[in-house]
Amino acid sequence: MMPISTTGVLAEFYEPADALAAAAKVRDAGWTHFDFLTPFPVHGLDEAMGQKRSWIPWATAGLALGGILFAQGLQNYVMVYDWPMNFGGKPHAAWPSFVPVTFEAMVFWAALGSAAIAIIAGKKDTVPQPPPGIETGATVDRFVLWIAATDPKWHADGAQQFARSLGAGNVRLIDGGADV
Amino acid sequence: MTRHEARPYATVMDDSQLTGRPIVVKGAGPYGGDLEIAEPLVTGAKTWADVDRDICMHAEQFPTKRWWIAFGVALAFLGLLVFALITLFYAGMGIAGVNQPVGWGSFIINFVFWIGIGHAGTLISAVLFLFRQQWRTGINRSAEAMTLFAVACAGIFPVIHLGRPWFAYWLVPYPNARGPLWINFNSPLAWDIFAISTYGLVSLTFWYVGLLPDLATMRDRATHPWRRALYNAMSFGWNGSHRAWRHYESAYMVLAALATPLVFSVHTIVSFDFATSVIPGWHTTIFPPYFVIGAIFSGFAMVITLMTFMRGYFGMKHYITINHMELMAKILMLTGMLVGFAYSTEFFMAWYSGSEWEGFIFRNRAFGPYWWAYAIMFTCNAIVPQIFWFKSMRRHTWVLFVVSILVNVGMWFERYVIVVTSLHRDYLPSSWGMYALTRWDYAILLGSFGLFFTLFLLFVRFLPVVAMSEVKGVMDPKVARRAGPSPAAPAGATLQEV
Repeated sequence: MMPISTTGVLAEFYEPADALAAAAKVRDAGWTHFDFLTPFPVHGLDEAMGQKRSWIPWATAGLALGGILFAQGLQNYVMVYDWPMNFGGKPHAAWPSFVPVTFEAMVFWAALGSAAIAIIAGKKDTVPQPPPGIETGATVDRFVLWIAATDPKWHADGAQQFARSLGAGNVRLIDGGADV
Repeated sequence: MTRHEARPYATVMDDSQLTGRPIVVKGAGPYGGDLEIAEPLVTGAKTWADVDRDICMHAEQFPTKRWWIAFGVALAFLGLLVFALITLFYAGMGIAGVNQPVGWGSFIINFVFWIGIGHAGTLISAVLFLFRQQWRTGINRSAEAMTLFAVACAGIFPVIHLGRPWFAYWLVPYPNARGPLWINFNSPLAWDIFAISTYGLVSLTFWYVGLLPDLATMRDRATHPWRRALYNAMSFGWNGSHRAWRHYESAYMVLAALATPLVFSVHTIVSFDFATSVIPGWHTTIFPPYFVIGAIFSGFAMVITLMTFMRGYFGMKHYITINHMELMAKILMLTGMLVGFAYSTEFFMAWYSGSEWEGFIFRNRAFGPYWWAYAIMFTCNAIVPQIFWFKSMRRHTWVLFVVSILVNVGMWFERYVIVVTSLHRDYLPSSWGMYALTRWDYAILLGSFGLFFTLFLLFVRFLPVVAMSEVKGVMDPKVARRAGPSPAAPAGATLQEV
């Protein structure tokens, strides 16, 4: 499961543009274990938070290649080696008729694999998250800054003051998994 | 600060104010030109919190009497399907209309029809996503659901067409004790198994990935602990973390990029079932594009039918506006003309090829004993959508609804024409015959609609019917935000304009 920090600071913004401006300041101030919880993806927030491009497409490419190899292997094994049949003298390894199944297998592996990997990556390739029981409102209409206590710069008062200096609303300390 | 200070144009509009034309702000554009802004995609001054309330409402309250009536009717037709299928399995294929020479009958017609319906959902969710068409956000969830349920309906037909459906698993290549006896990978019918199952599963994945953030929204709204736990498990504990959004968005893009060629490949492979045979009227190279465009055409018609209900009965008018309907009507007209063009091209090629058999088949299609099917097909598909040249017709709910039904009828008859007229008179006049649907064919056809609408009504009842997290992204934040402090955004911080 995803890493959790039971201690940290939550601070709210109410517009994507405000979250964007705040994210750049948090990044420039040297915080690393922070995150934004948002109701929808905010364009440019990845860069503002200092995140690199997602590596998911590389996984997709690998899976697609796996699908191609699987389908080619299966079809050639069946049609050439294990059960060769003579259809009007046509070649056993009739590659054009292997194209549709190869394509479908490529899409199948790449799509299902990428979706699964993205869900797992969202849990693993991340910083410690706020405890799941805390109501953030981030699935409705709040853009919530989370600074985890695992950050090397962590200081409970300092983090709250910093969040207030960004102009955030409802800055609060989460300690031991509960609102303080 | 007033709510609309930052915008020189209206972002709050009511449904009745929508015109389908851009809002022009004189002199506000680059170099002193006019600025043209699209009308808002969500009407009625909705906030982000309103979106959740309006859309989750249907899943959170006890269903209305209207829903129960619709569900009861759909369930009755589903019962008819089950009864007809049990009878078919018990009595055998003799009770269906297929015969010699028309060995492919209503089951194949229905299969192609339902697969075609599904294609519009993928087109809306994937192709329009890649083209950054933001109006898709209002309709993509229910269109994708339509795809899944249409594929579920379509999947029944090849299996029952086998005659001995209990051997359907023989179609799957796996090491077995029958030899091992493998399927023939040179056969388009074997490709079909891979195409349809891949299409169904990838569509399901795409739909489910889109649902994740909305399931988390429903979890956070839930009051009952079991309901909360269920939605939490279904959303894999989604909390809106932008570090997760980063991978999520990337995967969503990848899925769209994979689903786009997939949707074209599926109906191409379905058309190969016909085109690789040597039957006049089937053995043509135009079949793949012709089938794909016909599929998108019929699918959009079904989307319009369903969206009319969603607007009228489920109160989704603020999210599925008349502008959405107009855009779909435009696509319907475009694809209708492409389909009409394909019909004409077929005729031209039948004459131009100089092939006696091909020429005969097409004369027989239009003027032979099945002229009425051809006339229904051509009228409904190529002529009726021409009404959408008029803007007032594109924005008229009843016209849209009637045309969408007619197009669905026309597209069913297109497959009827393709399957039946090519088979019933082939090379040898001594083996000519006629085909008619029996009462069991009709029962299974009607029953498949029962299955489709039962699944769709369950979806409307239990899941968010509009992609909330996507709709929120295309709303004006100045209008949709909740009250709270707002630090001034510094210069350079940009926000994507709708």
